[in-house]
Amino acid sequence: MANDKSSMQLITRGILSENPIFKLALSMCPAVGISTTVMNGFMLGIAVLFVQVFSSVTISTFKNVIHPRIRIPTYTLTIATWVTVIDLVLAAYLPEAYAKMGIFVKLIVAFAIITMRLEMFACKEPVKDSFWDGLGMGLGFMIGMMVIGFVRELLGSGAIFGFDVLGFKPLLFFILPSAGFFVVGLMMAFFNWIEVYYKRSKGLK
Amino acid sequence: MMMLVKIRYIVLAALFFVVAPLAAQAEGLIVDQTFSGKKEITVKLSGAVDRKVAENVGNYTVFEEADPDIILALGSATLGHDSKSVTLQFKAPLNTAKTHVVTAQGLAGIDKTTFKVSKSYLGYLFGIFISALLINNFVFTKYLGLCVFFGTSKKKSTAKGMGVVFTVVMVVSALMSWFFFNFILTPFNLNFLQIVVFIGLVSLTVQAVDTVLRKVNPILFNSFGVYLVLVIANCVIIAVPLILANNNYNIFETFMLALGAGGGFLLALYLMSSVSERLQLAKIPPTFKGLPIAFIVAGQFAMAFLGFSGLQLF
Amino acid sequence: MKNIITIVIRLTVSCLLAASIMGLCFIFTSNAKKHNEHVQEQRVIYDLLGYKNGAKIPDSLALHEVYRYVISGGDRQSIGYLVPQGHGKGFFFVNIDLNGGLLASKTVALGDTEALDPKTRDKAIEQAAGPGYTVKFADQTIVVTNNGKRIAYLLGGKFQGFKTFVNVMLAVDPEFTILGLAVLEHEEDPGLGAEIVQDYFKNQFKGKAFEALKTIEVVKAPIPTEYLEALNGRVSEEASGKLREQYKDKAIYALTGATISSKAVAEGVKGIVTKFAYRLNVLDKILQEQQLAVSF
Repeated sequence: MANDKSSMQLITRGILSENPIFKLALSMCPAVGISTTVMNGFMLGIAVLFVQVFSSVTISTFKNVIHPRIRIPTYTLTIATWVTVIDLVLAAYLPEAYAKMGIFVKLIVAFAIITMRLEMFACKEPVKDSFWDGLGMGLGFMIGMMVIGFVRELLGSGAIFGFDVLGFKPLLFFILPSAGFFVVGLMMAFFNWIEVYYKRSKGLK
Repeated sequence: MMMLVKIRYIVLAALFFVVAPLAAQAEGLIVDQTFSGKKEITVKLSGAVDRKVAENVGNYTVFEEADPDIILALGSATLGHDSKSVTLQFKAPLNTAKTHVVTAQGLAGIDKTTFKVSKSYLGYLFGIFISALLINNFVFTKYLGLCVFFGTSKKKSTAKGMGVVFTVVMVVSALMSWFFFNFILTPFNLNFLQIVVFIGLVSLTVQAVDTVLRKVNPILFNSFGVYLVLVIANCVIIAVPLILANNNYNIFETFMLALGAGGGFLLALYLMSSVSERLQLAKIPPTFKGLPIAFIVAGQFAMAFLGFSGLQLF
Repeated sequence: MKNIITIVIRLTVSCLLAASIMGLCFIFTSNAKKHNEHVQEQRVIYDLLGYKNGAKIPDSLALHEVYRYVISGGDRQSIGYLVPQGHGKGFFFVNIDLNGGLLASKTVALGDTEALDPKTRDKAIEQAAGPGYTVKFADQTIVVTNNGKRIAYLLGGKFQGFKTFVNVMLAVDPEFTILGLAVLEHEEDPGLGAEIVQDYFKNQFKGKAFEALKTIEVVKAPIPTEYLEALNGRVSEEASGKLREQYKDKAIYALTGATISSKAVAEGVKGIVTKFAYRLNVLDKILQEQQLAVSF
């Protein structure tokens, strides 16, 4: 079915070719700030996924009723509403994880990625496609966060998801606050390198 | 115009608060009282007092304001050579962050003299400013506002413009948020609306600054107007109200926090843009070009800023 | 003009929609939040008392909350305690002056659940203290009894850490020997000061006697390997008890790269316990003198 294929494409686009963290370089703050463990990345990823999907669907549903002059305020209001909802839910049901993420859950409201998707995709496309696009972007963000968290947690405290796997701490440096910048920078360079390498090998063929 | 009047009132109120306590203290026996060391309080008096009374440890009771029943153990009390200052030595180090209440009996014939010793409030306010500027720099130690940070730190002139616009919007929106938070959200138990209200106020401030600047100073608007759009999509600007809501700051503390946060952002942008201008001339491996190297430079700044933590001026 | 009206109407409608969604969500989650906070608190309490990971809590165990207030008015300050009478009979209000002498004691009709709400409690205290006095909540202590015999006190406290405040809960036995330490809230740096939440740091306080705690020091030295294993709970209960005995009068080993945080915690714990010990003595004396039948 054609529809299935396009939904798959929308998702993979969010995860790979337009990954919000590594490719678009948007919403870097949490990627640097609280990516010390995989769990943190996962939790914030869930929150962003929720907000992105619900906002995309909401805007897409009401796209014909939204007056073009008040487009941006409407987006902000929609995002803020869903962020409040997820903030309240997380605070109530997962207080421990919520405490670790601190202020960043509330800051989802200012994430450029969500507004951008609403402006570029959801306000033009049908509800179904917007849903898949939101899901893809949210997943892309979540996976990006988890990858950074994985590297930092494994190298910094020798653990994954809080379970001690290495039995020792290879490089305490990675879990220190400022290391977030280095990890993200090095990973971006690494992905660039893969791309360059890939293109070169293709060119040779 | 409205805004100017508001700012003038705030400044006047600030001056009043600073001067009023000083004036009140000047009269009476006690001229000045400070923590002169980790275990010491020095009191300056307006006139000479009897050495025997002043040096009797039993005549003093000292406690922290919050714990009136825990009386701190005094080691000695010494009167200065001119008989006009008393140094109280304590057995254990004092917690100088807290206000201490000292009661002296029989000093200069007065039955009971009570006064409070605390760090100066101005120093405390300045401490908040320095903390937001350097120790908890929003970019390098709180990791906020990174999108705009990396986007606009290519040229020094851009960095300066962006930083200034940010600071202005931040201070105005933080003060408005403070009013809303304290007089509407908290009394009516509407704290869960925080996010919506704060983001609304930020958008409003941006719109207001935009309109005012366009009318009042078109030249300035031409150079700074472009950055205004970027302000809304930034987490620094919304983080300030959220932090002040968390910490129950009063209006002066809010002002200082916003000013420090804005100044910190300006500082970070300026530092980064200085490096960026040089980096353009440097030979960078192709895979590191652009964002990766910017991140690594920012990481080095962050490590340098880590050195500020624990800094205490007052 | 027509444009503006439609814009206003649509904005209002969307605001109302958003507000109703948020309001509904708040109503649904606020109770759950309170409940979960309570559960969390109970878990911390029982963890500190040694009933870890859902170990069975005996029925004879009871918790009694004591609230302390600072009462000021005129030129006088005093300390007011709200002490439970037990069996749902309400509370005693005991007003003690700064030198430990009794000013007043009366009964306050306040349910156990009512006392949990700060506003209701403040009002009741204000009434009991009489007109002209302002009351300020200071702290709350939980007295733990087993079969009516006191076995522990749980003390909450907040002190300055390296960056911001550290909020802890302590369990001490009737001789004020520390039974356990739990860090509830902190904002120290991950990898450095944030290690105060780790077992190998927290457990160093376990078993420190009151006398040793009064002069506690923090040393910059690596923790001996066998002690570290014991602190992390990797050795048997018996062996770790032995090691604890061996190290019980030693200084606290500072965290690597976070000496100031470690010192702050040690000093904070010392402050909380010494203040509490002093206050409890005063309160106990008064309770005994007045023959007040409290629940613990």
